[in-house]
Parts: sequence; C-alpha cells; structure tokens
Amino acid sequence: MSTPNNTSRRQFLERSGAAIVAATAAPALEAQAPSQNAQNTISPDPSVPRTTIKVTINGSPRRIEVEDRWTLVELLRDHLGLTGTRIGCDRGECGACTVLIDGKAGYSCSQLAVWMDGRSIQTVESLAQNGNLDPLQKAFIEHDAPQCGFCTSGQLMSAKGLLNRNPKPAQDDARAALTGNICRCSNYNRYVEATLAAAGVSSPQTVQRFAAAGAPFAALKTIGHETPRIDARERVTGKATYSGDVRLPGMLYAKVLRSPHAHARIKSIDISKAQALPGVKAVLTHDNCTVVWGAGGIAGGQQYNDAVKKITKQRRYAFNNPVRFVGDPVAAVAAVNRHVAEEALQLISVDYEVLPHVLEPEEALKPGAPQIWPEGNLALDTRNEAKPTGQRRGDVEKGFQEAMADGGHVFEDRLTTTLVHNAQMEPRSCVAHWEGEKLTVYTPTGGIANCRADTARDLDVPLENVRIVCQYMGGNFGNKNQNQDSDLIAAMLAKQSGAPVKVEYSRKEDFIGMHGRWPTVQYYKVGVSRDGTLKSIQLRGYSGMGGYRKNSGNIGGIEVYQCPNIETTIYPVYTNKTTSGNFRGPEYPQGYFGIQNMMDEVAFKLNMDPVEFALKNMTRKANDQNPYTNYTLDECIHRGAEAFGWKQKWRPEPGSDRGPVKRGAGFAFMAFRSGVGRSNAIIELDSSGKYIVRVGVTDVGAGAKTTMGLIAAEALEVPLSQVTVDWGDTSRCPYSVGESGSRTTIQTGYAVVEAAREIKKQIAEKGMPKTGERYTASTNPNPTIADNKVRATYGAHFVEVEVDVETGRARVLKYLAVHDCGRVMNPLTAASQIKGGAIMGIGMALHEELLYDARSGQPLTAGYYGHRVLTHRDAPDIEVIFIESDDGYGPWGAKSMGESSKVPAVAAVGNAVFNALGHRMRDLPITRDKILMAAQRGAEVRA
Amino acid sequence: MKTFTNSNARDPKQAATLAQQARRENKAAYFNSGGTDLLGLVKERIVKPDVLINLRTLKGLDTISSAAGGVNIGGQVTLETLSRDPRIRRDYTVLAEAAESVATPQIRNFGTLAGNVCQRPWCWYYRNGFPCFKAGGNQCFSITGENQFHAIFGGGPSYIVHPSDTAPALVALDARFKIIGPAGERTVPAADFFVLPKQNAARENVLAEDEVLASIQLPSPRAGQRSTYHKEMDREAWTHAVVSAALVLEMDKDICRSARIVLGGVAPIPWRVPDAEKLLAGQRITPDLAAKAAEAALAGANPLAKNAYKVPLTKAIVQRTALALATRA
Repeated sequence: MSTPNNTSRRQFLERSGAAIVAATAAPALEAQAPSQNAQNTISPDPSVPRTTIKVTINGSPRRIEVEDRWTLVELLRDHLGLTGTRIGCDRGECGACTVLIDGKAGYSCSQLAVWMDGRSIQTVESLAQNGNLDPLQKAFIEHDAPQCGFCTSGQLMSAKGLLNRNPKPAQDDARAALTGNICRCSNYNRYVEATLAAAGVSSPQTVQRFAAAGAPFAALKTIGHETPRIDARERVTGKATYSGDVRLPGMLYAKVLRSPHAHARIKSIDISKAQALPGVKAVLTHDNCTVVWGAGGIAGGQQYNDAVKKITKQRRYAFNNPVRFVGDPVAAVAAVNRHVAEEALQLISVDYEVLPHVLEPEEALKPGAPQIWPEGNLALDTRNEAKPTGQRRGDVEKGFQEAMADGGHVFEDRLTTTLVHNAQMEPRSCVAHWEGEKLTVYTPTGGIANCRADTARDLDVPLENVRIVCQYMGGNFGNKNQNQDSDLIAAMLAKQSGAPVKVEYSRKEDFIGMHGRWPTVQYYKVGVSRDGTLKSIQLRGYSGMGGYRKNSGNIGGIEVYQCPNIETTIYPVYTNKTTSGNFRGPEYPQGYFGIQNMMDEVAFKLNMDPVEFALKNMTRKANDQNPYTNYTLDECIHRGAEAFGWKQKWRPEPGSDRGPVKRGAGFAFMAFRSGVGRSNAIIELDSSGKYIVRVGVTDVGAGAKTTMGLIAAEALEVPLSQVTVDWGDTSRCPYSVGESGSRTTIQTGYAVVEAAREIKKQIAEKGMPKTGERYTASTNPNPTIADNKVRATYGAHFVEVEVDVETGRARVLKYLAVHDCGRVMNPLTAASQIKGGAIMGIGMALHEELLYDARSGQPLTAGYYGHRVLTHRDAPDIEVIFIESDDGYGPWGAKSMGESSKVPAVAAVGNAVFNALGHRMRDLPITRDKILMAAQRGAEVRA
Repeated sequence: MKTFTNSNARDPKQAATLAQQARRENKAAYFNSGGTDLLGLVKERIVKPDVLINLRTLKGLDTISSAAGGVNIGGQVTLETLSRDPRIRRDYTVLAEAAESVATPQIRNFGTLAGNVCQRPWCWYYRNGFPCFKAGGNQCFSITGENQFHAIFGGGPSYIVHPSDTAPALVALDARFKIIGPAGERTVPAADFFVLPKQNAARENVLAEDEVLASIQLPSPRAGQRSTYHKEMDREAWTHAVVSAALVLEMDKDICRSARIVLGGVAPIPWRVPDAEKLLAGQRITPDLAAKAAEAALAGANPLAKNAYKVPLTKAIVQRTALALATRA
C-alpha cells in the first residue's frame, strides 16, 4: 500500500475519496447490534500458532481452533459474539470481564483461550433461562445496581459465584466476593444490596425523603416514585451494545503509537516497515494527517467554534509535533486485526529530539522553565490572550485591614490537589465508517450533538454528512462530552483504508491519552473579624492543564461564602503531564477541598464549631446580591447535623481521642449551579397509541433515558409503558446539550414537557391519530429565570472517620449526604447518583492519584491498580437524605444532581481526618504515608 | 499480543526440558501458572515470550497431602484452595491468611501458590517498562525517584520489595521448596530460595531459567504453634502489601518458646528479623516486650527519601501482631 505524504488533509480526502465509495458501499448501517455468528473475516496467518480446544460455553460443548495468544475474553467477544463480557482494563484489575470458569469467578482477560481446554465457561448470557431472568438479574434491576452498566456483567458473575457456594451471605461476604469488581459509578452499595436481596437477605434502608420546610408541593403520578431503569434489562443480560461491541463487515482494528517522552520534537518518523507488514491497511502520522482536534484544546468544544478555529495560535492536532506529554499520539495503524496493528506499532521508528519538561504548574511559570508553547506556559484563552482568570468584589486589602482593626485575624494557607483520572469503566473504543461522503461514528459520547458538530468541523465536512451513534456508554464523568481524537483517527484511517475502522484504547492509554481532573495549588488568605464574620477572601491558584487547555482550569468554591471582599486569581498553566479536563463538577471538588478545609481551619483557630461557622458565613444570596429561586441550605445543614449526630461525633479538640485509633467528624456544604437553558425534544404519536420520545441523550449512567420517559409519561398523563424513548443517534434525535453539567433533566426534560404539551394540543384538536396518521411535536424551548434570581442545588455532607495514627490507615465509618435537588424525578436512580459521587469523593480524598516520575515525566499509576480506585471493600454505606422542593423551574422543580454529590465530598473527608487526627492534611490524596509522618511530627512536637 | 506458542506441560521434568530446549533454540520461554501476572507483562511487552510453558496441565501438583508429619503442597494449588483448606487453616494459619489476603477472588481462584511466590516485582518502574535491573537494565529508578513503596531493608542495587504474601508465611514456617530442572530435582529451604539484589539484581530467587518450583513442604507444626499474617494495604483490597508481617509463635501456656517474624513489603526478599525473635524467645509477651521487639525488628532500617513512614508502620504492626497472637485465647 502507499500513503500520501505531505499532503493537506483536504487534498488527501479528495485524492482517496473516489476509491472508498466502492469499497464501503456494502456494510449496512444498522449493524450496531453485533451479529451472534459474526465470523472472523481474516484468513488465518499460518505463522501464528493455533490450537484446537474443546470447551463448554454456556452449556454447549464446542470445538474451536484458537490462536495461542488469544485471551478468553477475546475468544468470547470477537469470535463467539458473546459481547456481554466487557473489557475494562485487560489486566486483571477491574473485573468487567469476569466469567465463571468451572463455576469459579475468573478474569477472562487474564486467561488464554488455549488454557480453557476441557473447561466449562459461563458468561452473563447464560444467566437468563428461556427468557426468565435469574433472581440476581431481577434483584439488580430492582435495586438499580447497574448505572452505566459496563461493570454489571462482571458483578453479576462474581455474585453468581458467591451464591453458588454461599446461598445466604452476609454483607461482608458480599463485599469480599465482589471486591474484584470495580464500579466507577461507585454504585457499590446497590450491588451489595441487590446481591443480598437475591439471596433473600435484606439491607438497611439508607435513603430518606422530606419536603422542604414550609414549601409543600403536590405529589405526581409517575414522577417521584422509585422506578427501575427502562433499559435495565439490557444492562443485566449483556445485551446492551456499547461502542466496543460494534462490529461491521470488513472492519479493521486500529492502535495508536504514543510518545514515550514528556516533551520532544519529532525529527522524523519511518513507517515503511509498518506499511510493509502483511495485514496493515493504513498508517497515519503528522506527516500525512493534519486534522485539528478542536475540542482537545482551547477550552473544549463549547468554545471551540469556527471563529476560534480561525484565530487560535495553539492548535491541537490529532498528531502533534512537538509532543507535549507521555501519551501524545504520534501515529496510528489500521490492520486486519488488533494483533497485527499492535505489531505494526513496534515497527514504526521515530527519531525524537528530547526536550526538557516541566510537570508542576508553579514551576512552569518560573523564568527559565521549559517552554511548552512559543507563547509561554500561561495558557491562552480563546482570544489568544494569556492572562489568569478570576473574580473580584470589594477590596480584599481593605477587608484584611478591617478584620485586623476589629481585633480579628488574617490566616494564610496553601493546599494542593492532584491529577486524578475519570477512570470511567468503558475505555475509549470507536468505529468509523464512510459511505461515500457520509461518515458514521459509533463512539462513547455524552453529547452526540456536540460530538457531531466537533467532528464535522475538525474534518471539514458538512454537518449533515456526519452521524454519531451511541446507544450505551460506560460512564462519562466529564471525559466524553465532545468528540475525542479517537473519533478523528478512526475516521481518517477509515478514509485512507477504505474500510470501517475500530480504534481501541487500552486502559493505560485511556488514563494517559484522554484527560483527568486538573491538579491545583491554592494559596488562601482569609480575613475574619473577632466574632468569626468573614471580611475578606483572597485566592491565588495554579491549575496544571497538561500540554493543551482542554477545559477551563478554574478553582471554584469561594462563591458559597458571604463575604464583601473577594479576589481570586487563577493561572491555567501548561505542563508536560497528561491533559487536564472536566471531571464530575469540573472546578469544584478540588476547589471545595481547598476553601472548605481553609474555613474549617479558620473555625478551629477561632475555637468555633465549623457547622456554626458555616451557618454564620455561608451564601444566602448568590454573589451576595441575587436571590435564589428557593433556599434550603440552612435546612440541609440543620437536618443533616441532627440525623448524623454531629454534636456527638465532632471533637471540639481535634485528635483528642485517647489511644492510637482516633475518630473524628467532618462536614462540608454546597450550593451548585442548576440553571435552565435550551434543548430539544420530539414526540411522535401514531394510531397504535404509543408515544415515541426522541431526545439527543445517550445516558452516561445517570439514568437519563428513564428520566426522559418518566417526564414524558407524566406530561402526557399516560403510563410509562406507553412511552418509548429513542436516544443516542443523531440521524433520529434532535439536538441536546449533552450529558455534561448535570443539565439533561432540567433542559432536555423541559423540552420533553413542552413537546408533550404540544402533542396534547394536537390530540385535543384532531382526536387520536387514525391508521396511517402520525402526529409530531418538535420543541426547542429556551426558558429563563425571572427577576435576576439564581437557581442552585444545595447539600451538606457529614463524615465520620477513624484514623490509626500508628499505621496511618484512615477509614470512613459513617457518611451522610443531604441534598436538595429540587423535586426528585426518580428516587431510585437519584440516590444511586448521590451515593456514587460521595464514594468517588472519598477516593479522591484518601487514595487516588495519577502519579508522575519527576525525572522522566512518565506516569506511574495509570490503571485501576496503580490509581487506587476504590473497591467494594472500601465503600461504606452512604446514607442519603433528600430535601425536596419545587421552585417552579425545570420540569416540576427538578434540579441538577449528578455532579453535586461529589462537590463537597472531598472537603468533608479532609475535614473529618483533621478532626480525628489533629493535623491538617493539606495535600491530596491523604494517604497513609502523609498521615503517619504528620502523626510522627506531631508526637515529636508534643514530646 | 506478541505471537507465541503455548506448550502444555505433563510433568515438571518435561516442563523444564521444554524450557531448556527453547533456550537452545534461542527462544524466550516462560512458565505460566495462574496467568494474571504473566499475561499482564506480556501485554505490556515487558516480557516477550516465544514459548509459554503452561504448568496448569501438570498432573498431581494441585493437591495438598500429608507427608512426614507435615504437608506437601503442590505448586499448582490455587490460593483459594489453600486459604480454605481446613488443615492449613488450623495448623498453618499464617499461610491460609496470607493466601486469603492476595488480590481479589478472581485472582485467588486461578492464581497458584508457586505463581504467587514466583511473581515478578510490582515496582511501578518495572511495570511501566523502565529499563531497570529487573528488566535486564543496569539501574534502579526508584533510588532518586518515587520510592514510597520501596525497600527499607536489603536494598541495593535494586530497591524492589518482594511482592508475594505467601512468601513471608512460608519462610516463617520453615518450608522447603522442591525445584525440578532438566537435570533433576533439588530442595532448598524457603529462606534460601529468595535472593537479594546484591546476589542477583535481575532475579528474585534461585530458580534457573529452566527450573520449576514444583511443590512446597511444610514441617509438622510444633507443639503450641500458632501463627498469623497481618497485611497493610493502600486501599482495602487488591494492592500488594505496603507492609506485612508473618508471625509463628511456639507457645507454652503464656510463655513464648520461640518466635519467627518475617516481614513483607520492606525488602527485596521476605525479611526475617532474628533480633526481634530472640527478644521474644523464652518470655511472656507483654506490651513492653512487644514494643522492644518491634524496635529491634526495625533497627538498621535504611529508608529512602519517601518511605520513612514504613519504619513506624512496621513497628506498629510487629508490636500489635506479636501481642495479639501471644495473648489470643
């Protein structure tokens, strides 16, 4: 094969386009569901050792010829069509691939198929018999165990293995048996509850709901009742098709070669040996592919528009030179199978000129630091301006003086947070397929409309020629909102090869090639009067953005304090770490950790209970001026403190417990954006009486499909069973904002209400449609909030921890999350979201970090093992209290929720550790080495 | 994955011969048992086999049997089987607890005793493909790098810690390892099986490339023997030991006749602390004595820049575990 060199992308498209039409005319587009008898289309390579094995698969004895190097999961998924078994890490670290081997749970990624000779394998597909679900599957549905569902098959098989040998397990037995199965939605409580329920063992009730004081509202018929997800059956039977399950005829597999250097200039790339390898069909490098990945830089796709594209000085390409972090893509190969593609990567020779690197944002701003962009290391904004972001109100210096004059204090401190990865269970896998000029991409994205617009812009093709499909996706947490480079790489490889191409990122690539939460350094200066009233807050912060500014880099949280003088100055800084971007509550969990630990310290220094201090100083008007549409923060805190037993658990003297094992309690509160805005929905009705609701959501795991169905049913005044929700395909579904910013329920949900109103009007005018008739209502509302009011969701988290000062072990004993999310649409899925966010927050506070080797700039902890993502055994029962209200906005008062549960969690855990230990832990994560060394230093000081 | 041939071994001798043959043909051969560790290394191309010699097909090495008053444990016995075996739980509790503390149920269901003992280091430099001693290179990146999980004893030139949980238990129990090679078999005491980097920086044990750890013999338990394994992890499951302690005490009423204390997570081999053991021998173990023994155990620790916390941590677990075991009802 030949590769056009040094041609522009447009020339390349023109040149290669003609040949492609014929080559790709055959594949049908509805092939999203993989065929059960999909055959390997590659003729066997005689040089690859193969063995015939006898194996029983789900009860059927089979004789199969396998390559010696195939893993069991590869055999199941690629060659037997059993895609219910997922690949989350491919390294025995996550459990998504768990199957039963001779009745015992095992990681099918860590077994070769050839070793299965004579054994019996059971996959998730075997659980339901004659269409009847296994009791475990039923319990999983009823208890809302699957959120994104990507880990569900594995959890089910581990649970099955447990019940096979222990029909009546206790809670600890279930946790132990499932602990090899990571759930990044962190729905651990639900998985354990469901497993126990299937065995007839009940679990304590952990969720309560109250109407906000003095604001009664009417109950609704469909909304507000615990409702299992409408797609739960697909998620527990393995039938849900994620992008990695898509398989098109003639499809090629692609792998990406990544930079091994933190910062380097590519002098030359020799791809000739890779091209010569039999089975290789296309090779891309920066020499022949100059596609710009717009959403990969310059503050994300929302702001990367045509105008920005024209002027920006800092373009991120699909393949960059210089490379700016370990993992920056250098080349991509499409070949007949993934082994050949991987082999070809080994044959690409790259001549690098290694450049000096810098990893920490403060270092990167010092004179003489390695320059990552010619314009310097302070990241440019969309107008090419290099300046810090921030806000200012009043005069902070005057505030400090006033505090001192009043006999008060000024406190200063430095707190840091680290780069942590979204680590959603589904690694990036996408399939691109051209039919003439029309491109279809099957890809995990929380925003099909954004992904489509980005992809069309990046590839310079008309919007109408791009179709994005995402039927199921395995978690998002901010990592999959726009298009990703894999979408572009797949599309370009498909163009060059003339065949559909699937790009697969390994778990390690997902960690280092995608993005994580930006690490921060936060310097606070707080002026407070003698009676504990805030006078002045100043923050100087540094955010490490990696080599590209994918998102804002802000540090949030100060705005929840009522204070006349505020000044924040935040520097988004380029470094040679992996890119930073949005991750569940983008700038808040790290910002809240900073400000609320700072304030907890201020309260401590003033000898005040931190809850009293918060009640004295917290926000009651947005930015001290705009009224909220409703306000329940006081109630969240009061009710939470009461239910948690704050007065008993909080130690007035931190670290005062006798003995090495000390307990303490911490608290943090939250007010989080919950605005309204534009979205679209279509409702169709034909003579069958079934309503079809079309929405541009994909359901990242929060339950959007079900919520949209509930809202439609309520608005249409019909049972949920009469509503079909259609999602996840830009060829059928209208624009939606995408599942980011916790706004689907509010914005798209409101569009559904409007569409329902519209179709009811049509019914009222014309009666129900007759045979052959179809009514359609399409709406595009853009509601606003009256009277300059601000809409927010509120919450308070209370945590009790136990810290062993001799071993450094910190453990959460009790956790209560109180949330006002407005009216709760579906208490079942809502509680799962709150629990998951809290557990993720515990992980960020105590364990997680994408750690780098300073000298080489290499990440050392990419993966579930290294990153210490929490397991079943780490996850405490999270108690949830909903305080419900209806402020008249959103559908029936619904507010945002998904992100908010993580926002105060990290801060609350940090404060609890302080209260138990008596030492402020200023640097995340609060691991045992830091706790131990602090305890040692403390002991020395006391001695 | 790289192309390789899977060869199912019938018996250890044949496995060893297959390895020897491969070596003569200039092929890279690796033994495989449970699979989790080796396949991860193969997928990362840290290990590049031409031949995988599959030991799971060995006949008769997946059982636990009585032998000369003690027990003989086949190398292919899974960690799961080991941890649930009633006799192991009763007479060699430390080994059952160590096996139970490994990774996850899925790994214990297929991971074997021999595989656990022979797994490669989990140092993040080695696992991320750095050309370190363990990968055949000539430096240890942890010395001036991220060394929070590295050795405080026995380091140099490599500072890995031995990753196995069962290994400290086996050393504490005076186990003997039966090794089979192409030329025949030999038996070595557990304590002599593991080698320090200063003896051989590229390997963790005495196995030659074509030798198989076939089985492990445990002596009969002594009168009054009680034992336990304590493991501190970095989250509540599926990490290697940050620090661990395997303790075997021979008790006569409340007097400790003899003690074995072997630490994990602190050295490139299971690290026995004879000075601490001596302090306990012939004594009633009081909180004070346990604290003294813990001090003695950590005397001579030589932490790197980021792992000094292991010193107080190890002290605490030696003290607590010794006291708890001695005073257990």
